This record gives sequence, C-alpha cells and structure tokens, in this order.
Amino acid sequence: MKNLKTFWAKILIFLSVMGPGIITANVDNDAGGITTYSVAGAHFGYALIWSFIPIIIALVIIQEMCSRMAVVTGKGLADLIREEFGVRVTFYAMTVLVFSNIFNTISEFAGIAASAELFGISKYLLVPICALFVWWLIVKGTYKSVEKVFLFACLFYVSYIISGFLSKPDWNLIAKSTIHPSFQFDKAYIFMLIGVVGTTIAPWMQFYQQSSVVEKGIKLENYKYSRLDVIIGAFVVNIIAIFIIIVCANTLFANGIRVENAKDAALALKPLAGQYCFYLFAFGLLNASVFSACILPLSTAYSVCEGMGWEIGVNRTFKEAPQFYSLYTAIIAIGAAIILIPGVKLVPIMLISQATNGILLPFVLIFMLLLVNNKRLMGKYTNSGFYNFCAILIIAAMILLSLFLFFTVFIK
Amino acid sequence: MNLFNQSTRANISAAKMFIFFSQLMDKPVLDKAGKTVGEIYDLVVKSSQVYPLSDALIIRQGFPNRKYALINWPDIEKIDKEGAQLKIDSSGLNFNQIHDEKKEFTLRRDILDQQVVDTHNHKVIRVNDIQLLVVDHALMIAHVDIGSRGLLRRLGFEKIIDLTVKLFNPQARYLKNEHLISWKHIQPLTINPVSMTIKVDLPQKNLASIPAADLGDIFLDLNINHQIALFKSLNLMNKTKIFTNIDFKTQSSLLEEMTDPEIAELLNNLPSDEATDFLEKLPREKTKYVLNLIENKYSKRLSQLLGYSGDSAGGLMTTEYIAFAKDTTVGAALNQIRERKFKSEPVQFIYIVDETQHLISATNFRRLILAKPEEPIQNSVFPKTYFVRLDSSVKEVAYLMEKYKYFAIPVVDANNVLQGIITVDDILSQLIAFAWRRLKRIKIMQKT
Repeated sequence: MKNLKTFWAKILIFLSVMGPGIITANVDNDAGGITTYSVAGAHFGYALIWSFIPIIIALVIIQEMCSRMAVVTGKGLADLIREEFGVRVTFYAMTVLVFSNIFNTISEFAGIAASAELFGISKYLLVPICALFVWWLIVKGTYKSVEKVFLFACLFYVSYIISGFLSKPDWNLIAKSTIHPSFQFDKAYIFMLIGVVGTTIAPWMQFYQQSSVVEKGIKLENYKYSRLDVIIGAFVVNIIAIFIIIVCANTLFANGIRVENAKDAALALKPLAGQYCFYLFAFGLLNASVFSACILPLSTAYSVCEGMGWEIGVNRTFKEAPQFYSLYTAIIAIGAAIILIPGVKLVPIMLISQATNGILLPFVLIFMLLLVNNKRLMGKYTNSGFYNFCAILIIAAMILLSLFLFFTVFIK
Repeated sequence: MNLFNQSTRANISAAKMFIFFSQLMDKPVLDKAGKTVGEIYDLVVKSSQVYPLSDALIIRQGFPNRKYALINWPDIEKIDKEGAQLKIDSSGLNFNQIHDEKKEFTLRRDILDQQVVDTHNHKVIRVNDIQLLVVDHALMIAHVDIGSRGLLRRLGFEKIIDLTVKLFNPQARYLKNEHLISWKHIQPLTINPVSMTIKVDLPQKNLASIPAADLGDIFLDLNINHQIALFKSLNLMNKTKIFTNIDFKTQSSLLEEMTDPEIAELLNNLPSDEATDFLEKLPREKTKYVLNLIENKYSKRLSQLLGYSGDSAGGLMTTEYIAFAKDTTVGAALNQIRERKFKSEPVQFIYIVDETQHLISATNFRRLILAKPEEPIQNSVFPKTYFVRLDSSVKEVAYLMEKYKYFAIPVVDANNVLQGIITVDDILSQLIAFAWRRLKRIKIMQKT
C-alpha cells in the first residue's frame, strides 16, 4: 500500500516537473527537420535509421547538462555566459543567435505556407493568422498556460506515428537496419547523414531548455525527474523522426520517387499511401511549424534579454520590458513577411540557417562544457570523469559536423 | 558623501575625477623599471564603508597559461586610463595559477556583469560597468552603470556611436543619458561559498524602507539560490516582511532551507492571519510539524484558527488586536500603545473588554487622542458596538464594514468573548477575488 502511494507520489512529481525537456526535443522536429527526414527516407530508405541511436545519446547528454546547470545555478545559459565570459562574448553570441533564429523562424513559416498549399488554403491567409496566433499566445499568456499549450501540441506528433503504421512497414527489415548500421561511402549518403545529425542538435535548444527549467523553478531534490523529462523527450522526438523516415522509405523510396522537401513528400504520398496518410502527414507539418514558430522567437527574446540584462516579458507589460517584446514581435513579423514575398527562394534561407547554426553551435557547446565543469558554480554537480569523456567526444563530433556543414554551404 | 546624486550627470570638473572600471581592465601594468609585467585584471575592494575603497589589484599575465598576482594598493605608484605603474620591482610579484577566489570582494567577479539589487528603484538589475572615483591615490566605487552607453563602452563601440549620433543631432538626449545608480543603493548578491549567505552591505534599514509588496516583488525576481542566501542573511523584521509578500511556492521552498529554530522564530513573528494562510496550504503532516516548533500558546491559537473555514469570519480574522479594561485611563492606554505592548499592526481600532475578555465596546485612535488623558477610556467609546460571529460569512462582514465605514470589525464567539478582528485589507482581497470570478463568468455568459 505504501509502495503504491509513493509510486503515485513520484508520478505526480514527475508530471509537475515534466515539460522543458519534452517540449525542447519536440520543437526539434520542426519544418526543417521534417524536410530532412522525408528526403532521407525517400532517398535512402531504412539505411539511415541506425544513426538515431547515437543521436539519442548525444541529445540526452547535451540537454541533460543544460537541465542540470539550470537546477543547480538557477540561471539561464545566457545569464551564465554573461557572468562568466563577459559582455563582449555574450553580445556576439547573441547577435549570431538572433540572426540564426530569424532564419530558422522563416523556415518555420515556410513550413506553414507549404502545409497551407497542401490543404488548399491560401498562404496569404494562413501565414498571417498563424503569426498573429503565435504572437498573441505569448503576449497574453503566462509561462504556465503557454507550457500547457506546448505540451498539448506535442501530442499531435502522434499523427506521424499513425501515418507510419498506415504505410504498412516491413518491421523485420527496420529492426535489421537499426541494429546493423550500413555505412555507404557515397557523397550523397554522407551529406544526408550530416544533415540528419545537424538538424537534431541546434544552439537555440540549449538556451531554451535551460531558461525554461529555471522558469519552472525545479528543485535540486527533484532533479532526477527533470533528467527523466530530458530522456523521454530525446526518445520521443527520435522515434517520431524514425516514423517519418519509415513512411517515406516505404512509399517513396520503394517506388523510386525523389523529393526535395516535405511538401513534395506529402503530395507523393497521396496516390501511394492514401488520403488519410496524406492528411496526417500534412497536419503534422502544420502543427510542427506553428509550434516551432512559437518557441524560436520566444527563446531568442528570452536569451538576448537574459544576456544583456534587460527585463524579460511573459508576465510583464510592453512598457516594463520593451526590448523583450520588440525583439519577439520583430522576429515573428520578419519571419512571416519574408515568406509572403511572391516568388521568394527558400533554399538559400535554409542554407543560411544551417550555416549560422553551424557557426554558433561549437561555441555554445564549449561554453557549456566549461560552465558545467566550473566548481564555483556547480559545486559537487560538475560532470564526472566518464561523463566528461562522453561529452567531449560528442561535442568534438558535433563541432566537426557543424564545420563541415558550414563549409559545404559555401563550397556549394 | 553628497558628491553623488542618484542619477548623476557628471559635470566637467567632476568628469576628470571619475573613471570607469572598463577603462582600466586589460590595460598594461609596468613595474618600477618601466617593464610590462602584465595587465590589469581585477580590483579587490574593502567593503567596510558605504562606498568601498580599492584595497589591491589583481594583474594577469600569459596566454593561454594565465597567471595572476595580487598587488597591495600601497605598492601602486599611479593608476589611470593608460594603465598602472608600480613602485616595486617585478621580482616582488608572486604569480599563481589561480587567484584566491574566496575571501575578497572583487569587482570583476562579484559586480561586473552580475545581477544586483537596486534598492532605490526596487529592481534586480545587471551591471554593465562600474564608475570609480579617484580619491588621493585610491579608487572608490561611486556608481554602477546599467545603461546602454555602459554596454556600448564595454563592447568598444562608444566612440563610434557617439560620433555618429553627434553628426546627426549634437543635442541628442542619448549623449547625456548616463544611467548610473549610486553605490549606496546597490545590494550585491555574491553568495559566500562557505556560509552560503549574502553579505548585506547596506544597513538593513535601507531594505526596510522599501514597501513590503515591492520587497516581495524584488525577491521573486531573484533566482532560487539568491533567494535562499539573501533570506538567510536578513534580520527578522525583513524576513517577516518578505515572507508575507511572496507566493506559497517560494514560501515553502524557503521553509525547506530553514532550520527548526529559524522556522520557529519566523512563525512566532508572523501575524496570525498570514501564518494561517501559509499553514493552510501546507500538507497536513508538515503543518503539524511546524506547529510543534512554535510557542505553545501561539500554536494553540493558530491550530484553532486553522479549524475555521477560510471564507468565514473566523478564518479571516487575525488574533492580534488592542484591548483594554473598562477603567483604564486614556493616558495609560496611549502609553501602552506607544510602548508597543501589542503585537497588533493596526492601532486605529481599540476594544474594551471585561476580565473574561467579553467585548464591551469599541473606540478608535482618533477619539483617544482627542480625549483628556485622565479620563477613563469607557467615556470615549462609540455609542454602539457592531461585531460579527466566528461563523459569519464574508458577505455579512463586508456589508457591515461598508455600512458603518469601519476599517476593522471585532469577531466574537457564541459567548460574546472577543476572538480577533478583521481588517479591511483582508476583506478587500476576498472581495477582489470574488469580483474577478464574477467578471469572468459574466464575460463568458455574454459570449455564449
């Protein structure tokens, strides 16, 4: 009886702590992510599924450090960078973050425009509506209500799992290709692999997650639940990514159809997997794009104000936190406006967003590693030797990948 | 110390005496022979005075293997925007891998880029730069800079932006718009790693002068570690003030960090209505535990109060009030109030009771000071005494108070024994919550 009671008590604590990890991870499956996974599935079938196992590990290790820093220091990542590395470093890091997140936001609105076309609605109608909705949600909401909406949005990712089942996949083959990684020494394959890894770990995620754990005020004694939140988030997001690959592998790859983006993939699905699969896929894209279009501007405004020492909004008025609201509004407005320019080219936007992410990520990860190992800040909660070894290995790999991605943008 | 205004527009003669910490940072340090021995890294200050004075300089050399050395202030010949000149030889310097992190209070580590409390504007702010005053060879912390000019100066863009602005508008407000805050209003938030407390430099009366609700708001702007450390460092009066003005979540996390005697001390000093508000929300076992810690008499009263329903007069009342016997003279009564014999916050309302605490009549402070001191108090009471019962509803209480324009109303039990009083602020918060719910319901109804 007592065990049962403590079990429920634990579930309750987890539910109260849950949020930041799951939300951050899910935003990762945004318009850009879905495009990458669709193309990966369509071009290489199941051959890339194995890569999600190392991705899950990397995601858990990196995001766990953020969560831990948030709980132990009670400060956001931008706060800590400002306090430990000074204003100059913070200023340039924040400038790049703003730049990169503007381009990320544009690509989220591109996702909204694409799903508008899929549903046969004019993008000139849907994009402004979504932009207003996103703006209104934060300006009128509180942290708690916003988090609830976000957690609810996470549920809609299930649509990809359902569409995965609707496409009747070959489970034996999937299991086999997950356990036996098949590496192809082919330029296109390597590029795709880097793309898949690169889209999963982006710099804004560390800032967002750490700030939202701080905002939630999670206590040290409940930290193990916060860690569970991170782990569940990492698994869920990658399982959904795998299902996107499965859908496209099963239908498009099997029939030799090549696609360039998520919209093509959805359209190509229609004759092969049926009406429902098409609608679920398109709805998933819309949900993911709107959800990420909420979080990216919010996270940017939050980090910048944290680092620069300006008042942070959400629970304040425009007059009390002018920089916060201006930045937040500007990013949404720019993101939505650029997509509405007739004949705008999306490929360069995607490439710039990848390149700026690639510049920033190495710095953010190195700062994190230095901060999390700072005894004065973290006390006995610094990384253990083995954990540090893993973290350094992952960070080194991520830096190499980002640099590679960054240079390929310019070589191409 | 009238040299510093709250937001200074430094005039020309004073400008020469002031220097920004950012203008010293990373400047070269020369030894007696004129050889460069390193660069200025940090400034150690003695924080014993209102305006702390420079005590030592920390210099840095080497890259990437950084080494630090501490130079006592008397060994410095001069220090300005060009750098520092030492009186001693480089052989007298003792370079170490790390500079001692614990004991001293230093500008770069503890103030610059950190969050501090601005007790004048009641806000938590981040320091962009520090303005120092040159006083006979020493430096004194005068202001912290929290404005955009400070930010630009740190980034090295101040001159360029200044020139550009001047080009377009020589009279621009931006050029004179220094956002400086006098150090006497600044409370640093450095947590001592050993005692885990924050050294409260300001006289605590300075904090006490902040309205309680604002103090609570400032407190909620801090992160949890700073909250705990600051709370531990405050005196009982400030602790009580903060505790009654923060949300339950923060209250309970502070409670977990306190030792049993600290909890007892705090709860003993909390007004009974605030204490019951808090205890009501705690889990039952925790309430029992906390009640066991505090004074026997008071805990009995609190547990009795906890028994009343939250929206009845018994649940709303505070048990601190001012009451006198019938034959007390006005002078004696006023003296007792003056000598703070009562725990009660509001002194406007005064009650007369018999030996067994039965309510007889009521008066107010105005009537008392207008009466002659030698008269018995009973001569200056209200012609009629209104009261409510323990189980009266909020509505009844509010109705009576509004009708007779009372700021407080006594609560009696079935035998007319005085139990406590309800003040207008307690009723107001209930009514606002009630009106708010109604308002929302009306809005929803209009929509459907």
